[in-house]
Amino acid sequence: MKRKGNIYYDGSRIGNCLICITATILAFICVYPMYYVLVLSLSSPKAAIAMNTYLIPDGLHFDSYRVIMKDMTMWRAYGNTLLYVSITTVLMLVTCVLAAYPLTSSRLAGKKWLTVYLLIPMYFGGGLIPTYLVMSKLHLYNNIWAIILPGCFSIWNIILTRTYFISIPESLREAAKIDGASHFQIMTRIYLPVAKPIIAVIAIYTIVGTWNSWFNAMVYLPNPDLQPLQLYLRRVLVQQTVDLTKLPMEEVEAAVIRNMSNVQLKYAMIIFTTLPVIFAYPFFQKHFVKGVMLGSLKG
Amino acid sequence: MTVKSKPLPVAGVKRRKYSREYVQENLELYAIMIPVLILIFLFCYLPLYGLLISFQNYQPGDPFLAFDGSIEWVGLKHFTKFISGKYFFRLIKNTFVLSFLNIAVGFWIPIIFALLLNEIHNLRFKKLIQTASYLPYFISSVVVAGMVLSFIEPNGLVNHLLGIFGVPPKAYAMEPKYFAFIYTFTNIWKSFGWNSILYISAISSIDPSLYESSRLDGANRFQNIWYMTLPSILPTISIMLVMAVGSVLAFNTDLILLLYNPATYKTADVIGTYIYRDGLESGNFSFASAVGVFTATINFILVFAANWISNRLTNYGLW
Repeated sequence: MKRKGNIYYDGSRIGNCLICITATILAFICVYPMYYVLVLSLSSPKAAIAMNTYLIPDGLHFDSYRVIMKDMTMWRAYGNTLLYVSITTVLMLVTCVLAAYPLTSSRLAGKKWLTVYLLIPMYFGGGLIPTYLVMSKLHLYNNIWAIILPGCFSIWNIILTRTYFISIPESLREAAKIDGASHFQIMTRIYLPVAKPIIAVIAIYTIVGTWNSWFNAMVYLPNPDLQPLQLYLRRVLVQQTVDLTKLPMEEVEAAVIRNMSNVQLKYAMIIFTTLPVIFAYPFFQKHFVKGVMLGSLKG
Repeated sequence: MTVKSKPLPVAGVKRRKYSREYVQENLELYAIMIPVLILIFLFCYLPLYGLLISFQNYQPGDPFLAFDGSIEWVGLKHFTKFISGKYFFRLIKNTFVLSFLNIAVGFWIPIIFALLLNEIHNLRFKKLIQTASYLPYFISSVVVAGMVLSFIEPNGLVNHLLGIFGVPPKAYAMEPKYFAFIYTFTNIWKSFGWNSILYISAISSIDPSLYESSRLDGANRFQNIWYMTLPSILPTISIMLVMAVGSVLAFNTDLILLLYNPATYKTADVIGTYIYRDGLESGNFSFASAVGVFTATINFILVFAANWISNRLTNYGLW
C-alpha cells in the first residue's frame, strides 16, 4: 500500500486536509442521528424533556429502558420478528440450494425453459393488488405464512448460488455418482459444504432484510398479535397511536414514568430494537460488501 | 422429458439421451427443484395472471378468469378513468418531481463520495469513514422515518438547532412545500454510502500503473480524476443511470408511505402510494391494478429509452 501512497504526492497538503474534513463531516452526518437518539435515551428525564443534550448525556440513566422493558406488546412483536426471521432465513437457504443444484447439471432436460421461467418474474411482476388478491385466494390473509412464503425464495439469490455451484467441477459429481450417490446426497454432502461463503452472504442479507421489512406485514397481517416488531414501531413512532407514557404499570413505576417524556421512551425503544442489527453489522460488513460485488458481476 | 420407447433413427447418441437412466436422473433433479418451482408459480406467476382484473369490474371473491359469462369485461375503462381523473396530474407531477430530485441529487453523491474516498491514503481512516457511511442503510425504514418525524417536530432536534440561528420553530411534517426536501434528504442519507460500494470497487480495479504514468506526465489531482478515474468507471455509471431512470415511476414508496400524511398529500402522494390507498384501503381492486399496469408500461418504455440513449452517448448500456 505504500506504493499507492506515493502516487498522489503531487496532491497538495491543503487538498488532502480538505478531503479528510469533508469525509469526516459526511461520516458524522451518517452517524449523528442515531447517536443523538442514544444520547437522549440515556439522559436524565429532565434533560430529555428540555431536549438540550446534543453530544454527551448528562450521566447514565437507564430508567427509560427499564420502562420499555415492561411493554408486553413490544416483547410479543419482538418474538414474532425472531420467529419470522429464523423461518424465512432457513427456508431461503433451502430454496436457493434446491433450485440452484439441478440447474448446474448438464443432463437436466429443458434447462432453457427453466431459465426463462426464472427470468420472467425478474422483469415482470403482478404488482400490489393482484398479489394481494392471490394471497387472499390462497387463504394466506392474516396468516403468518403470508409474509414468510413470498419472502423465503429469491430468484436473484438462486442465480447467485447457481453461479457459485458452477465453479465446482462436474467430474466431482460424476465420480460420486459412480460410487452410487443419489443427486440429493451429492447436493447435501458435496455442494453444500463448498458453498458456505455464498450461503453466509445470502443468510445475512435475508436476516437483515426480514428484520427490517414491514410493508408485507402491514398489508397481510391486520391481527396485532401476529405483527412483527417493525409494525409495532410504526404504530409507536410514525402513526403515534401508542403512547408509551401510558403503559400499564405498577404504582412505583408510574411515579418514575410521570417525569418521562414520550420522546425519550420512543428513543429508548429505537435503540433497543435496532441494537441487534447495529451490533451485528460491523462483523457482517465484509459479507455485505461481498454480496454487492457478487451481484454486480452477474448484473 | 418424453419417454421414447422405440429406438430413434440416429441410434447411438439419441437413444442414450432418452435412456431409462436419463429419465430417472431428470425425475430426481426435478423432484429436488419442484418445491421452489411451485413457490415461484404461486407468488410470481399467479399475480401476473391476476393482472387480468385491470380490464374487468372485479369484485372480491370472483375468479380472475371464467368463460361462463360471469365476468364483466370493461376494456380500458379504468385506464381512461385514471388518466382523466382529478388526481392524475398531481400524481404524475409528484412522482416525477420526487424521483427526478432523487436522481439529480442522489445519483451523483455516491460517485463523488467514492472519488473522495479514493483520495484518502490513510487506510484505517478510510475504512472508518466507509463503515460509518454504510450504517444508515441497515436501519429499518420505519425507524428512519420515526427518527426523521421526531426530529422535525416543532420541539425536535432540527428546530432546536435552527433556533440557534434565530429561525422560529415550525411543524415541517405538516407543510407540503418541505416534503420533497425531507424525503430526498432522508433517502440519500439512508443509501448513499451503500450505493458507493459499486463505484469504490470499480475504482479499486483501475490499474495503479496508469496513475503512475500520468503523474510522470505532470497531471494534478483533478486531471487524474477527470481523465483517468471517471472514464474508467463510466460503464458502471451508465448502467446505474439506466437502472435509476428505469425505476423513475416504480421507486421505493416505502419511505413515502411512512413520511407523508393527509396534510402533505398535495406534494407527497405518488402513484405507488395512491395504488395502495385506493386499492387496498378503498377496495377499488380493478382500478388500482390498472394504474399499476399503466405505470409498469411507462416504466418499460423509459428503460428502453434510457438504454438507447446511453448506448448512443457512451457505448455502454444494459444490453
